[in-house]
Amino acid sequence: MSAAPRALIADDEAPMRDQLRARLREVWPELQIAGEAANGVEAVEQARALAPDIVFLDIRMPGLTGIEAARQLYQRCHIVFVTAYDQYALDAFEQGAIDYLLKPVTAARLETCCARLRQRLAQPPEDIGVQLGRLTAALAGNAANAAPPRLRWIQAQVGASLRMIPTREVLFFRSDEKYTRVQTATTELLIRKTLKELADELDPDEFWRIHRSTLVRVDAIESVSRDMRGRQMLKLRGCREELEVSRNHSHLFQQM
Amino acid sequence: MKTPSNSMDWSDVKLLLRELFATARENWWLFVDWLAVIDWRRLAILWLLVLIGFGLLNTPEPAVWFILISFGVKVLGGGKRKAELEAQAADRKADVATLERRLTEAQMATLQAQVEPHFLFNTLALIGQLIETDPPEAARVHAHLIDYLRSSLPQMRAAGSATLGKQVELSKAYLAIMQARMKERLQVQFRVPDFLGSAPFPPMMLQTLIENAIKHGLEPKIAGGRIDVSARVEDATLFVDVCDDGLGFNPTSSDGLGLANIHERLQLLFGDKAELVIEAPPTGGTRASIRVPYQMMEGL
Repeated sequence: MSAAPRALIADDEAPMRDQLRARLREVWPELQIAGEAANGVEAVEQARALAPDIVFLDIRMPGLTGIEAARQLYQRCHIVFVTAYDQYALDAFEQGAIDYLLKPVTAARLETCCARLRQRLAQPPEDIGVQLGRLTAALAGNAANAAPPRLRWIQAQVGASLRMIPTREVLFFRSDEKYTRVQTATTELLIRKTLKELADELDPDEFWRIHRSTLVRVDAIESVSRDMRGRQMLKLRGCREELEVSRNHSHLFQQM
Repeated sequence: MKTPSNSMDWSDVKLLLRELFATARENWWLFVDWLAVIDWRRLAILWLLVLIGFGLLNTPEPAVWFILISFGVKVLGGGKRKAELEAQAADRKADVATLERRLTEAQMATLQAQVEPHFLFNTLALIGQLIETDPPEAARVHAHLIDYLRSSLPQMRAAGSATLGKQVELSKAYLAIMQARMKERLQVQFRVPDFLGSAPFPPMMLQTLIENAIKHGLEPKIAGGRIDVSARVEDATLFVDVCDDGLGFNPTSSDGLGLANIHERLQLLFGDKAELVIEAPPTGGTRASIRVPYQMMEGL
Protein backbone atom coordinates (compact mmCIF):
# COMPACT_ATOMS: atom_id res chain seq x y z
CA MET A 1 0.00 0.00 0.00
CA SER A 2 1.84 3.07 -1.23
CA ALA A 3 -0.79 5.81 -1.18
CA ALA A 4 -1.52 7.63 2.09
CA PRO A 5 -4.08 5.76 4.23
CA ARG A 6 -7.56 7.28 4.39
CA ALA A 7 -10.09 7.35 7.22
CA LEU A 8 -13.76 8.18 7.81
CA ILE A 9 -15.04 9.63 11.10
CA ALA A 10 -18.64 8.95 12.13
CA ASP A 11 -20.15 10.61 15.22
CA ASP A 12 -23.45 12.43 15.65
CA GLU A 13 -21.83 15.15 17.73
CA ALA A 14 -19.75 17.61 15.68
CA PRO A 15 -17.38 18.63 18.53
CA MET A 16 -16.45 14.95 18.97
CA ARG A 17 -15.63 14.60 15.28
CA ASP A 18 -13.44 17.70 15.53
CA GLN A 19 -11.69 16.28 18.56
CA LEU A 20 -10.83 12.99 16.90
CA ARG A 21 -9.73 14.78 13.72
CA ALA A 22 -7.40 17.07 15.69
CA ARG A 23 -5.90 14.19 17.67
CA LEU A 24 -5.33 12.08 14.57
CA ARG A 25 -3.50 14.98 12.92
CA GLU A 26 -1.07 15.06 15.87
CA VAL A 27 -0.57 11.33 16.18
CA TRP A 28 -0.71 10.20 12.57
CA PRO A 29 -0.08 13.17 10.23
CA GLU A 30 -0.03 11.07 7.05
CA LEU A 31 -3.54 9.76 7.65
CA GLN A 32 -6.00 11.53 5.39
CA ILE A 33 -9.50 12.20 6.70
CA ALA A 34 -11.57 11.36 3.64
CA GLY A 35 -14.91 12.36 5.15
CA GLU A 36 -17.19 12.70 8.15
CA ALA A 37 -20.64 11.24 8.85
CA ALA A 38 -23.21 12.45 11.38
CA ASN A 39 -25.26 9.25 11.66
CA GLY A 40 -25.11 5.53 11.01
CA VAL A 41 -26.81 5.62 7.64
CA GLU A 42 -24.48 8.33 6.37
CA ALA A 43 -21.51 6.38 7.69
CA VAL A 44 -22.40 3.34 5.58
CA GLU A 45 -23.08 5.45 2.47
CA GLN A 46 -19.86 7.44 2.83
CA ALA A 47 -17.80 4.35 3.49
CA ARG A 48 -19.18 2.73 0.33
CA ALA A 49 -18.58 5.87 -1.75
CA LEU A 50 -15.14 6.85 -0.40
CA ALA A 51 -13.73 3.37 0.29
CA PRO A 52 -11.57 4.46 3.25
CA ASP A 53 -9.05 2.12 4.88
CA ILE A 54 -10.28 2.86 8.39
CA VAL A 55 -13.66 3.87 9.80
CA PHE A 56 -13.99 5.38 13.26
CA LEU A 57 -17.53 4.64 14.46
CA ASP A 58 -19.34 6.16 17.44
CA ILE A 59 -21.58 3.48 18.98
CA ARG A 60 -24.70 5.50 19.73
CA MET A 61 -25.81 7.23 16.57
CA PRO A 62 -29.23 7.90 15.07
CA GLY A 63 -30.26 5.92 11.99
CA LEU A 64 -27.98 2.95 12.58
CA THR A 65 -25.89 2.30 15.67
CA GLY A 66 -22.15 2.02 15.21
CA ILE A 67 -22.40 -1.75 15.69
CA GLU A 68 -25.08 -2.08 13.00
CA ALA A 69 -23.05 0.07 10.60
CA ALA A 70 -19.96 -2.03 11.32
CA ARG A 71 -21.79 -5.23 10.38
CA GLN A 72 -22.21 -3.82 6.89
CA LEU A 73 -18.66 -2.51 6.62
CA TYR A 74 -16.25 -4.81 8.42
CA GLN A 75 -15.27 -6.70 5.28
CA ARG A 76 -14.28 -3.53 3.42
CA CYS A 77 -12.33 -1.58 6.01
CA HIS A 78 -10.75 -1.64 9.44
CA ILE A 79 -13.23 -0.67 12.16
CA VAL A 80 -12.44 1.30 15.30
CA PHE A 81 -15.30 1.93 17.75
CA VAL A 82 -15.44 5.15 19.75
CA THR A 83 -17.60 5.50 22.85
CA ALA A 84 -17.86 7.56 26.01
CA TYR A 85 -19.58 4.88 28.04
CA ASP A 86 -21.16 1.60 27.03
CA GLN A 87 -20.35 -0.94 29.67
CA TYR A 88 -21.59 -4.03 27.86
CA ALA A 89 -19.79 -3.02 24.66
CA LEU A 90 -16.56 -2.32 26.51
CA ASP A 91 -16.72 -5.73 28.17
CA ALA A 92 -17.02 -7.33 24.75
CA PHE A 93 -14.19 -5.25 23.28
CA GLU A 94 -11.82 -6.20 26.08
CA GLN A 95 -12.09 -9.88 25.15
CA GLY A 96 -11.92 -9.64 21.40
CA ALA A 97 -9.89 -8.40 18.51
CA ILE A 98 -12.00 -5.31 18.12
CA ASP A 99 -10.29 -1.92 18.27
CA TYR A 100 -11.90 0.79 20.34
CA LEU A 101 -11.25 4.24 21.75
CA LEU A 102 -12.72 5.94 24.81
CA LYS A 103 -13.91 9.53 24.71
CA PRO A 104 -12.32 11.92 25.40
CA VAL A 105 -9.65 10.44 23.14
CA THR A 106 -6.19 10.87 24.66
CA ALA A 107 -3.04 11.10 22.57
CA ALA A 108 -1.38 8.15 24.34
CA ARG A 109 -4.30 5.76 23.79
CA LEU A 110 -4.71 6.92 20.21
CA GLU A 111 -1.03 6.27 19.49
CA THR A 112 -1.31 2.64 20.59
CA CYS A 113 -4.42 2.24 18.47
CA CYS A 114 -2.78 3.83 15.41
CA ALA A 115 0.34 1.74 15.76
CA ARG A 116 -1.79 -1.39 15.62
CA LEU A 117 -3.69 -0.06 12.63
CA ARG A 118 -0.47 0.76 10.73
CA GLN A 119 0.65 -2.84 11.10
CA ARG A 120 -2.62 -4.23 9.96
CA LEU A 121 -3.25 -1.95 7.03
CA ALA A 122 -1.19 -4.17 4.73
CA GLN A 123 -3.52 -7.11 5.44
CA PRO A 124 -7.22 -7.37 4.74
CA PRO A 125 -9.47 -6.36 7.66
CA GLU A 126 -9.87 -9.00 10.33
CA ASP A 127 -13.06 -11.04 10.26
CA ILE A 128 -14.97 -9.70 13.25
CA GLY A 129 -18.39 -10.80 11.97
CA VAL A 130 -18.91 -13.30 14.78
CA GLN A 131 -17.99 -10.83 17.50
CA LEU A 132 -20.24 -8.18 15.98
CA GLY A 133 -23.11 -10.63 15.83
CA ARG A 134 -22.63 -11.47 19.48
CA LEU A 135 -22.42 -7.78 20.35
CA THR A 136 -25.65 -7.01 18.49
CA ALA A 137 -27.37 -9.79 20.39
CA ALA A 138 -25.97 -8.50 23.68
CA LEU A 139 -27.15 -4.98 22.91
CA ALA A 140 -30.61 -6.20 21.89
CA GLY A 141 -30.79 -8.39 24.98
CA ASN A 142 -29.88 -5.42 27.07
CA ALA A 143 -32.78 -3.46 25.65
CA ALA A 144 -35.54 -6.06 25.67
CA ASN A 145 -34.24 -9.01 27.70
CA ALA A 146 -34.45 -11.06 24.49
CA ALA A 147 -38.17 -11.62 25.05
CA PRO A 148 -40.54 -11.12 22.13
CA PRO A 149 -41.86 -7.55 22.12
CA ARG A 150 -45.08 -7.28 24.09
CA LEU A 151 -47.69 -4.58 23.99
CA ARG A 152 -47.02 -2.23 26.92
CA TRP A 153 -49.17 0.70 25.82
CA ILE A 154 -52.75 0.80 24.62
CA GLN A 155 -53.53 3.49 22.07
CA ALA A 156 -57.01 5.02 22.22
CA GLN A 157 -58.36 7.88 20.16
CA VAL A 158 -59.33 10.81 22.41
CA GLY A 159 -60.36 13.83 20.36
CA ALA A 160 -57.75 14.49 17.71
CA SER A 161 -54.97 12.77 19.63
CA LEU A 162 -54.05 9.20 20.32
CA ARG A 163 -53.83 8.65 24.05
CA MET A 164 -51.27 6.15 25.35
CA ILE A 165 -52.38 4.12 28.36
CA PRO A 166 -49.80 1.91 30.05
CA THR A 167 -51.08 -1.68 30.30
CA ARG A 168 -50.32 -1.68 34.03
CA GLU A 169 -53.16 0.85 34.50
CA VAL A 170 -55.72 -1.29 32.65
CA LEU A 171 -58.07 -3.37 34.81
CA PHE A 172 -59.72 -5.33 32.03
CA PHE A 173 -60.64 -5.39 28.34
CA ARG A 174 -64.14 -6.36 27.29
CA SER A 175 -65.38 -6.72 23.75
CA ASP A 176 -68.48 -4.76 22.84
CA GLU A 177 -69.99 -5.50 19.45
CA LYS A 178 -67.73 -3.32 17.30
CA TYR A 179 -65.23 -2.04 19.81
CA THR A 180 -63.20 -3.19 22.74
CA ARG A 181 -63.75 -1.40 26.03
CA VAL A 182 -60.62 -0.54 28.03
CA GLN A 183 -61.38 -0.11 31.72
CA THR A 184 -58.95 1.67 34.06
CA ALA A 185 -59.52 2.77 37.66
CA THR A 186 -60.49 6.23 36.49
CA THR A 187 -61.83 6.01 32.93
CA GLU A 188 -63.16 3.76 30.25
CA LEU A 189 -62.17 4.10 26.61
CA LEU A 190 -63.07 2.35 23.37
CA ILE A 191 -60.49 0.97 20.97
CA ARG A 192 -60.81 -0.80 17.64
CA LYS A 193 -58.34 -3.57 18.37
CA THR A 194 -60.16 -6.88 18.83
CA LEU A 195 -59.82 -9.02 21.91
CA LYS A 196 -58.10 -11.67 19.80
CA GLU A 197 -55.47 -9.19 18.61
CA LEU A 198 -54.94 -7.94 22.16
CA ALA A 199 -54.61 -11.48 23.50
CA ASP A 200 -51.90 -12.15 20.91
CA GLU A 201 -49.94 -8.97 21.55
CA LEU A 202 -50.20 -8.61 25.33
CA ASP A 203 -47.96 -10.40 27.77
CA PRO A 204 -49.81 -13.65 28.59
CA ASP A 205 -48.49 -13.47 32.15
CA GLU A 206 -49.89 -9.98 32.60
CA PHE A 207 -53.39 -10.53 31.16
CA TRP A 208 -55.56 -13.65 31.35
CA ARG A 209 -58.53 -14.50 29.28
CA ILE A 210 -61.38 -15.42 31.64
CA HIS A 211 -64.27 -15.29 29.21
CA ARG A 212 -64.94 -15.17 25.47
CA SER A 213 -65.31 -11.40 25.81
CA THR A 214 -63.01 -10.54 28.72
CA LEU A 215 -59.27 -10.16 29.30
CA VAL A 216 -58.28 -9.28 32.84
CA ARG A 217 -55.02 -7.99 34.32
CA VAL A 218 -53.93 -10.65 36.79
CA ASP A 219 -52.43 -8.20 39.28
CA ALA A 220 -55.72 -6.34 39.58
CA ILE A 221 -57.67 -9.36 40.80
CA GLU A 222 -58.69 -9.01 44.43
CA SER A 223 -60.78 -12.13 45.02
CA VAL A 224 -62.70 -14.92 43.34
CA SER A 225 -66.09 -16.05 44.63
CA ARG A 226 -69.14 -18.01 43.52
CA ASP A 227 -72.49 -16.35 43.10
CA MET A 228 -75.96 -17.87 43.63
CA ARG A 229 -75.93 -19.54 40.26
CA GLY A 230 -72.58 -21.11 40.95
CA ARG A 231 -70.65 -18.92 38.52
CA GLN A 232 -67.13 -17.83 39.39
CA MET A 233 -66.99 -14.07 39.78
CA LEU A 234 -63.85 -11.90 39.97
CA LYS A 235 -63.61 -8.82 42.12
CA LEU A 236 -60.99 -6.28 40.98
CA ARG A 237 -59.13 -3.67 42.97
CA GLY A 238 -60.48 -0.19 42.31
CA CYS A 239 -63.53 -1.39 40.39
CA ARG A 240 -67.14 -2.08 41.37
CA GLU A 241 -67.97 -4.20 38.38
CA GLU A 242 -67.60 -7.95 38.92
CA LEU A 243 -66.40 -10.11 36.06
CA GLU A 244 -67.71 -13.54 35.20
CA VAL A 245 -65.31 -16.38 34.58
CA SER A 246 -66.69 -18.74 31.96
CA ARG A 247 -66.62 -22.52 32.48
CA ASN A 248 -63.93 -22.93 29.83
CA HIS A 249 -61.59 -20.77 31.86
CA SER A 250 -62.59 -21.73 35.39
CA HIS A 251 -59.51 -23.98 35.65
CA LEU A 252 -57.46 -20.76 36.05
CA PHE A 253 -58.89 -20.34 39.53
CA GLN A 254 -59.11 -23.91 40.80
CA GLN A 255 -58.47 -24.23 44.47
CA MET A 256 -55.07 -25.56 45.34
CA MET B 1 -79.87 -39.20 33.65
CA LYS B 2 -80.73 -35.71 34.71
CA THR B 3 -84.35 -34.71 35.09
CA PRO B 4 -84.82 -31.33 33.50
CA SER B 5 -88.06 -30.63 35.39
CA ASN B 6 -86.22 -30.73 38.66
CA SER B 7 -84.51 -27.41 37.97
CA MET B 8 -84.82 -25.98 41.50
CA ASP B 9 -83.32 -28.85 43.41
CA TRP B 10 -82.23 -28.99 47.02
CA SER B 11 -78.65 -27.79 46.43
CA ASP B 12 -79.99 -24.60 44.87
CA VAL B 13 -82.17 -23.96 47.88
CA LYS B 14 -79.25 -24.56 50.18
CA LEU B 15 -77.12 -22.12 48.17
CA LEU B 16 -79.90 -19.52 48.37
CA LEU B 17 -80.23 -19.94 52.12
CA ARG B 18 -76.50 -19.66 52.59
CA GLU B 19 -76.45 -16.47 50.55
CA LEU B 20 -79.35 -15.00 52.55
CA PHE B 21 -77.66 -15.87 55.80
CA ALA B 22 -74.39 -14.31 54.65
CA THR B 23 -76.15 -11.09 53.68
CA ALA B 24 -78.02 -10.92 56.98
CA ARG B 25 -74.84 -11.47 58.94
CA GLU B 26 -73.00 -8.81 56.97
CA ASN B 27 -75.78 -6.29 57.57
CA TRP B 28 -75.94 -7.15 61.24
CA TRP B 29 -72.24 -6.35 61.64
CA LEU B 30 -72.67 -3.14 59.67
CA PHE B 31 -75.42 -2.23 62.13
CA VAL B 32 -73.20 -3.04 65.11
CA ASP B 33 -70.34 -0.96 63.65
CA TRP B 34 -72.68 1.91 63.12
CA LEU B 35 -73.98 1.68 66.69
CA ALA B 36 -70.46 1.53 68.04
CA VAL B 37 -69.38 4.82 66.53
CA ILE B 38 -72.57 6.90 66.76
CA ASP B 39 -72.71 9.12 69.85
CA TRP B 40 -75.43 8.81 72.50
CA ARG B 41 -77.04 12.18 71.76
CA ARG B 42 -77.69 11.31 68.12
CA LEU B 43 -78.93 7.88 69.08
CA ALA B 44 -81.42 9.44 71.52
CA ILE B 45 -82.70 11.79 68.81
CA LEU B 46 -83.08 8.84 66.48
CA TRP B 47 -85.04 6.88 69.13
CA LEU B 48 -87.36 9.85 69.54
CA LEU B 49 -87.93 10.09 65.78
CA VAL B 50 -88.53 6.34 65.50
CA LEU B 51 -91.02 6.48 68.39
CA ILE B 52 -92.90 9.39 66.83
CA GLY B 53 -92.86 7.73 63.39
CA PHE B 54 -94.18 4.38 64.52
CA GLY B 55 -96.47 6.11 67.03
CA LEU B 56 -98.14 7.95 64.17
CA LEU B 57 -98.67 4.60 62.48
CA ASN B 58 -100.21 3.36 65.73
CA THR B 59 -97.73 0.45 65.97
CA PRO B 60 -95.19 1.41 68.64
CA GLU B 61 -93.91 -2.19 69.20
CA PRO B 62 -91.18 -2.24 66.46
CA ALA B 63 -89.90 1.10 67.73
CA VAL B 64 -89.67 -0.20 71.27
CA TRP B 65 -87.88 -3.34 70.08
CA PHE B 66 -85.45 -1.27 68.03
CA ILE B 67 -84.69 0.96 70.99
CA LEU B 68 -84.19 -1.99 73.34
CA ILE B 69 -81.93 -3.91 70.94
CA SER B 70 -79.82 -0.94 69.97
CA PHE B 71 -79.49 0.14 73.60
CA GLY B 72 -78.42 -3.35 74.60
CA VAL B 73 -75.90 -3.72 71.77
CA LYS B 74 -74.42 -0.30 72.38
CA VAL B 75 -74.00 -0.87 76.09
CA LEU B 76 -72.71 -4.43 75.85
CA GLY B 77 -70.58 -4.52 72.74
CA GLY B 78 -70.26 -0.94 71.59
CA GLY B 79 -67.16 0.01 73.50
CA LYS B 80 -65.22 -3.04 72.43
CA ARG B 81 -66.27 -2.74 68.82
CA LYS B 82 -65.39 0.94 68.77
CA ALA B 83 -61.91 0.19 70.08
CA GLU B 84 -61.52 -2.46 67.39
CA LEU B 85 -62.52 -0.06 64.65
CA GLU B 86 -60.18 2.59 65.98
CA ALA B 87 -57.34 0.09 66.06
CA GLN B 88 -58.08 -0.83 62.46
CA ALA B 89 -58.00 2.81 61.41
CA ALA B 90 -54.69 3.29 63.21
CA ASP B 91 -53.29 0.23 61.44
CA ARG B 92 -54.34 1.62 58.12
CA LYS B 93 -52.71 4.93 58.93
CA ALA B 94 -49.49 3.16 59.88
CA ASP B 95 -49.64 1.20 56.61
CA VAL B 96 -49.90 4.41 54.61
CA ALA B 97 -46.97 5.88 56.52
CA THR B 98 -44.83 2.80 55.84
CA LEU B 99 -45.80 2.87 52.21
CA GLU B 100 -44.89 6.53 51.95
CA ARG B 101 -41.51 5.92 53.53
CA ARG B 102 -40.83 2.95 51.27
CA LEU B 103 -41.80 5.00 48.26
CA THR B 104 -39.51 7.88 49.22
CA GLU B 105 -36.67 5.40 49.54
CA ALA B 106 -37.45 3.85 46.17
CA GLN B 107 -37.73 7.31 44.76
CA MET B 108 -34.30 8.25 46.02
CA ALA B 109 -32.87 5.12 44.44
CA THR B 110 -34.42 5.86 41.06
CA LEU B 111 -33.38 9.47 41.23
CA GLN B 112 -29.83 8.46 41.87
CA ALA B 113 -29.94 6.18 38.87
CA GLN B 114 -31.44 8.95 36.81
CA VAL B 115 -28.17 10.75 36.21
CA GLU B 116 -27.11 8.46 33.43
CA PRO B 117 -23.42 7.66 33.24
CA HIS B 118 -23.68 7.84 29.46
CA PHE B 119 -24.90 11.44 29.67
CA LEU B 120 -22.27 12.35 32.24
CA PHE B 121 -19.34 10.86 30.31
CA ASN B 122 -20.41 12.38 27.00
CA THR B 123 -20.79 15.80 28.58
CA LEU B 124 -17.39 15.56 30.22
CA ALA B 125 -15.85 14.51 26.90
CA LEU B 126 -17.49 17.52 25.28
CA ILE B 127 -16.14 19.89 27.92
CA GLY B 128 -12.68 18.40 27.40
CA GLN B 129 -12.86 19.12 23.70
CA LEU B 130 -14.26 22.63 24.18
CA ILE B 131 -11.47 23.59 26.60
CA GLU B 132 -9.11 23.29 23.62
CA THR B 133 -11.25 24.81 20.91
CA ASP B 134 -13.69 27.18 22.60
CA PRO B 135 -12.89 27.87 26.27
CA PRO B 136 -15.81 30.30 26.90
CA GLU B 137 -18.28 27.68 25.63
CA ALA B 138 -16.52 25.06 27.78
CA ALA B 139 -17.09 27.28 30.82
CA ARG B 140 -20.78 27.67 29.93
CA VAL B 141 -21.39 23.93 29.49
CA HIS B 142 -19.45 23.25 32.67
CA ALA B 143 -21.66 25.68 34.61
CA HIS B 144 -24.81 24.07 33.18
CA LEU B 145 -23.54 20.65 34.22
CA ILE B 146 -23.02 21.86 37.78
CA ASP B 147 -26.55 23.35 37.85
CA TYR B 148 -27.95 20.10 36.53
CA LEU B 149 -26.12 17.92 39.05
CA ARG B 150 -26.95 20.24 41.94
CA SER B 151 -30.66 19.77 41.44
CA SER B 152 -30.78 16.19 40.17
CA LEU B 153 -28.53 14.40 42.65
CA PRO B 154 -30.83 13.70 45.61
CA GLN B 155 -28.16 14.24 48.24
CA MET B 156 -27.59 17.71 46.84
CA ARG B 157 -31.19 18.66 46.36
CA ALA B 158 -31.79 21.81 48.36
CA ALA B 159 -35.02 22.33 50.27
CA GLY B 160 -37.51 24.40 48.34
CA SER B 161 -36.54 22.84 45.02
CA ALA B 162 -40.07 21.52 44.62
CA THR B 163 -41.37 24.53 42.75
CA LEU B 164 -42.09 24.73 39.07
CA GLY B 165 -39.53 27.54 38.74
CA LYS B 166 -36.70 25.39 40.15
CA GLN B 167 -37.71 22.40 38.05
CA VAL B 168 -37.73 24.52 34.89
CA GLU B 169 -34.27 25.87 35.75
CA LEU B 170 -32.92 22.35 36.10
CA SER B 171 -34.39 21.29 32.77
CA LYS B 172 -33.07 24.41 31.05
CA ALA B 173 -29.56 23.52 32.24
CA TYR B 174 -29.97 19.95 30.95
CA LEU B 175 -31.31 21.07 27.57
CA ALA B 176 -28.53 23.67 27.20
CA ILE B 177 -26.03 20.81 27.53
CA MET B 178 -27.93 18.69 25.03
CA GLN B 179 -27.99 21.63 22.61
CA ALA B 180 -24.23 22.05 22.92
CA ARG B 181 -23.93 18.36 21.96
CA MET B 182 -26.65 18.03 19.33
CA LYS B 183 -26.18 21.54 17.87
CA GLU B 184 -28.78 22.39 15.23
CA ARG B 185 -30.42 18.98 15.66
CA LEU B 186 -32.16 20.22 18.80
CA GLN B 187 -34.43 23.25 19.17
CA VAL B 188 -35.91 24.17 22.51
CA GLN B 189 -38.75 26.45 23.53
CA PHE B 190 -40.02 27.20 27.04
CA ARG B 191 -43.39 28.87 27.56
CA VAL B 192 -43.73 29.05 31.33
CA PRO B 193 -45.25 32.30 32.66
CA ASP B 194 -43.18 33.93 35.41
CA PHE B 195 -46.02 33.93 37.93
CA LEU B 196 -46.04 30.10 37.91
CA GLY B 197 -42.42 29.97 39.09
CA SER B 198 -43.42 29.82 42.75
CA ALA B 199 -46.11 27.15 42.28
CA PRO B 200 -45.26 23.90 44.11
CA PHE B 201 -44.37 21.10 41.71
CA PRO B 202 -42.88 17.69 42.59
CA PRO B 203 -39.17 17.36 41.79
CA MET B 204 -37.74 15.41 38.83
CA MET B 205 -41.05 14.83 37.06
CA LEU B 206 -40.61 17.47 34.34
CA GLN B 207 -36.99 16.37 33.96
CA THR B 208 -38.02 12.72 33.42
CA LEU B 209 -40.45 13.75 30.67
CA ILE B 210 -37.77 15.86 28.96
CA GLU B 211 -35.13 13.13 29.17
CA ASN B 212 -37.63 10.68 27.66
CA ALA B 213 -38.33 13.09 24.80
CA ILE B 214 -34.61 13.39 24.07
CA LYS B 215 -33.72 9.74 24.53
CA HIS B 216 -36.63 8.08 22.71
CA GLY B 217 -37.85 10.88 20.46
CA LEU B 218 -35.08 13.14 19.24
CA GLU B 219 -31.65 11.55 19.75
CA PRO B 220 -32.50 8.49 17.59
CA LYS B 221 -34.04 10.70 14.88
CA ILE B 222 -31.52 11.59 12.16
CA ALA B 223 -32.88 15.08 11.52
CA GLY B 224 -33.39 15.80 15.21
CA GLY B 225 -36.28 18.09 16.13
CA ARG B 226 -37.74 20.36 18.75
CA ILE B 227 -38.97 20.26 22.33
CA ASP B 228 -41.69 22.59 23.60
CA VAL B 229 -42.19 22.90 27.34
CA SER B 230 -45.24 24.85 28.44
CA ALA B 231 -47.20 25.46 31.62
CA ARG B 232 -50.62 26.98 32.21
CA VAL B 233 -53.40 27.08 34.77
CA GLU B 234 -56.93 26.09 33.86
CA ASP B 235 -59.75 25.66 36.39
CA ALA B 236 -57.38 25.49 39.37
CA THR B 237 -55.31 22.80 37.64
CA LEU B 238 -51.68 23.31 36.73
CA PHE B 239 -50.83 21.77 33.34
CA VAL B 240 -47.18 21.11 32.53
CA ASP B 241 -46.71 19.79 28.99
CA VAL B 242 -43.66 18.46 27.15
CA CYS B 243 -44.09 18.09 23.37
CA ASP B 244 -41.56 16.78 20.91
CA ASP B 245 -41.70 16.04 17.20
CA GLY B 246 -39.44 13.02 17.45
CA LEU B 247 -39.86 9.39 16.45
CA GLY B 248 -43.03 8.94 18.48
CA PHE B 249 -44.03 6.30 20.90
CA ASN B 250 -43.28 2.62 20.48
CA PRO B 251 -46.21 0.76 22.08
CA THR B 252 -44.06 -2.27 22.83
CA SER B 253 -41.27 -0.36 24.57
CA SER B 254 -41.28 -1.30 28.20
CA ASP B 255 -39.46 1.83 29.24
CA GLY B 256 -42.27 2.95 31.46
CA LEU B 257 -40.19 2.93 34.60
CA GLY B 258 -39.69 6.67 34.78
CA LEU B 259 -43.32 7.21 33.80
CA ALA B 260 -44.59 4.57 36.25
CA ASN B 261 -42.65 6.36 38.96
CA ILE B 262 -44.32 9.68 38.08
CA HIS B 263 -47.74 8.04 38.01
CA GLU B 264 -47.26 6.44 41.43
CA ARG B 265 -45.91 9.56 43.06
CA LEU B 266 -48.75 11.67 41.65
CA GLN B 267 -51.29 9.23 43.02
CA LEU B 268 -49.71 9.24 46.44
CA LEU B 269 -49.39 13.02 46.59
CA PHE B 270 -52.71 14.06 45.07
CA GLY B 271 -54.91 10.96 44.67
CA ASP B 272 -57.38 11.29 41.83
CA LYS B 273 -56.75 15.01 41.51
CA ALA B 274 -53.56 14.58 39.47
CA GLU B 275 -52.78 12.67 36.31
CA LEU B 276 -50.09 11.90 33.77
CA VAL B 277 -51.34 11.81 30.19
CA ILE B 278 -49.26 10.55 27.26
CA GLU B 279 -50.55 11.29 23.78
CA ALA B 280 -49.46 10.91 20.18
CA PRO B 281 -50.67 14.07 18.41
CA PRO B 282 -51.78 13.75 14.77
CA THR B 283 -48.75 15.84 13.77
CA GLY B 284 -46.39 13.15 15.07
CA GLY B 285 -44.06 12.98 18.03
CA THR B 286 -45.19 12.67 21.63
CA ARG B 287 -47.00 14.92 24.09
CA ALA B 288 -46.65 14.20 27.79
CA SER B 289 -48.69 16.19 30.26
CA ILE B 290 -48.68 16.34 34.05
CA ARG B 291 -51.77 17.81 35.71
CA VAL B 292 -51.75 18.69 39.41
CA PRO B 293 -53.98 20.89 41.61
CA TYR B 294 -52.70 24.46 41.35
CA GLN B 295 -51.44 26.20 44.48
CA MET B 296 -49.92 29.67 44.33
CA MET B 297 -47.28 28.96 46.94
CA GLU B 298 -46.11 26.22 49.23
CA GLY B 299 -48.50 25.61 52.10
CA LEU B 300 -51.38 27.68 50.74
